[in-house]
Amino acid sequence: MKLLKKPPLRVLLFSLLALLAVAVTVTAQKQPQNVQVRIGSILASNQSDEFDARLKGLEKQLRVLKYRSYRLLKDESQSVPWQGNRVFEIPGGRSLMVAPQEFQDNRIGLKVRLTDGPKPLLDTTVRISNKGNFILGGPPHEGGVLVLSISAVTQ
Amino acid sequence: MNGCEDKIPSIERWLDGELSGAENDSLRSHVAVCAECSEAQRRLEKLQSTLKAALLSEAQRVDFAPFWRAVQLRVNEKRPWYQEALDSMRRALPAPRVAWVVPAVIVLLLAVVSLESYLPGWRGAGRNAFATVESIDAYGRNVALLREYDTKTTVIWLYQDQEGENEAAEETAPSGPAF
Amino acid sequence: MELTDWELVQQCQAGEMSAFQELVSRYQQKVYMVILGMLRNREDALEVAQETFFRAYRKISGFQGGSSFYTWIYRIAVNLAIDAQRRQKRNPLDFRETMDDLLESQDEAARDPFADLHDKELREKLVSAINDLTPEHKAVIVLRTIEGLSYKDIGEILGCSEGTVMSRLHYARKKLQDKLSAFL
Repeated sequence: MKLLKKPPLRVLLFSLLALLAVAVTVTAQKQPQNVQVRIGSILASNQSDEFDARLKGLEKQLRVLKYRSYRLLKDESQSVPWQGNRVFEIPGGRSLMVAPQEFQDNRIGLKVRLTDGPKPLLDTTVRISNKGNFILGGPPHEGGVLVLSISAVTQ
Repeated sequence: MNGCEDKIPSIERWLDGELSGAENDSLRSHVAVCAECSEAQRRLEKLQSTLKAALLSEAQRVDFAPFWRAVQLRVNEKRPWYQEALDSMRRALPAPRVAWVVPAVIVLLLAVVSLESYLPGWRGAGRNAFATVESIDAYGRNVALLREYDTKTTVIWLYQDQEGENEAAEETAPSGPAF
Repeated sequence: MELTDWELVQQCQAGEMSAFQELVSRYQQKVYMVILGMLRNREDALEVAQETFFRAYRKISGFQGGSSFYTWIYRIAVNLAIDAQRRQKRNPLDFRETMDDLLESQDEAARDPFADLHDKELREKLVSAINDLTPEHKAVIVLRTIEGLSYKDIGEILGCSEGTVMSRLHYARKKLQDKLSAFL
């Protein structure tokens, strides 16, 4: 039978613990260790009406491009450290280098370079939502064009 | 005691002054004529008076003159800084029941923050759902930037080398998407 | 004209130590009796009674008059007495005076050759029987006996309903009567 349960002291301690937990969580969020980058290499063409079932998740985005056929050529994921970079081999002898720069407001800043052998084709800096993506396309490939879906999520 | 055992709680309440007027009168009348209940009343009153006498006689033997001095000394005693700090924080907190709102709010904040890490788009896709292109260098090639609002898609389209340089490619593939 | 408890509390909240002294003076004996009834040991009871008023002083700025001052002070006293009881259980009494010893010495000091030996033994047995009750039952019996507090007031002090007070009192009295039937 505790009449005066000393809730203020318990409340104080519990509040401090809860605040600490919030601080740890927020800090953890602000400084994720790595970025998981995923590159989907897709062949878009008008040679058929085929839509690769593996691209179901990207269908709405790909339909924007108004091609009749989409086929997944390669799907690759790599863990990339902040301020580091990784190179993804793209069909057709091309390469895509991705370098995560910063993480702010739940958005990831990426530096991306597309090269054709030693020749740079495109350099861009893009800021995407965490778990979001953008589309990079255009290089010709096997009677169609190469479309890359570049997505990133913090780890 | 056989027939009136169930009346004992009522007798207790009667002696404690907790019965209403009518109940009071009714029980008083009964006890006046019932030997068992009368005996129960006597025993209860004896119990009560004996305990009170024991405690009262002891309390009356105590000299309370130094009592206030002892309390005063404690009140004026300098307490360690951490005790004073704890007391100030206690005084700053609201009433105990309301005080639990403080950690409850913090836990709620924690849940919202954690939810964000698992479901970053849970608040709904807004303007920030678009990928933002901060810089672009196509090394002299034509490049197009498209934003499709329905799907929140950002497209960077790199056109092929200048027209005429690759006629074979043009025959098999369109030069660009039809957006 | 004598100030009410609430008026004294307000003066105390304004920093008047003399007001608090008056409150201590009014309630020190009663608080001591309640605690003694629960602890049976004079030294402990005095110490806990002093602690009660010390805590009351520390908390008095937060007292808003929602309950009467005496229910508030008894609440603090009963809580501290329960804590002290727990400590007593962990460190059993050694040579400190118990209520039994006090009762015995009272009668010896009185040196009344006509003292009722039956009553003496009853008191000793009663105090011992009370000590066998749980803290909750001890508290209701002592509060009802010393102050004649209503079930409502006792419920407020102990943080329980009037019905609970009633059933605890009934249980405690039944236990005591069972143990003391030969003496009552």
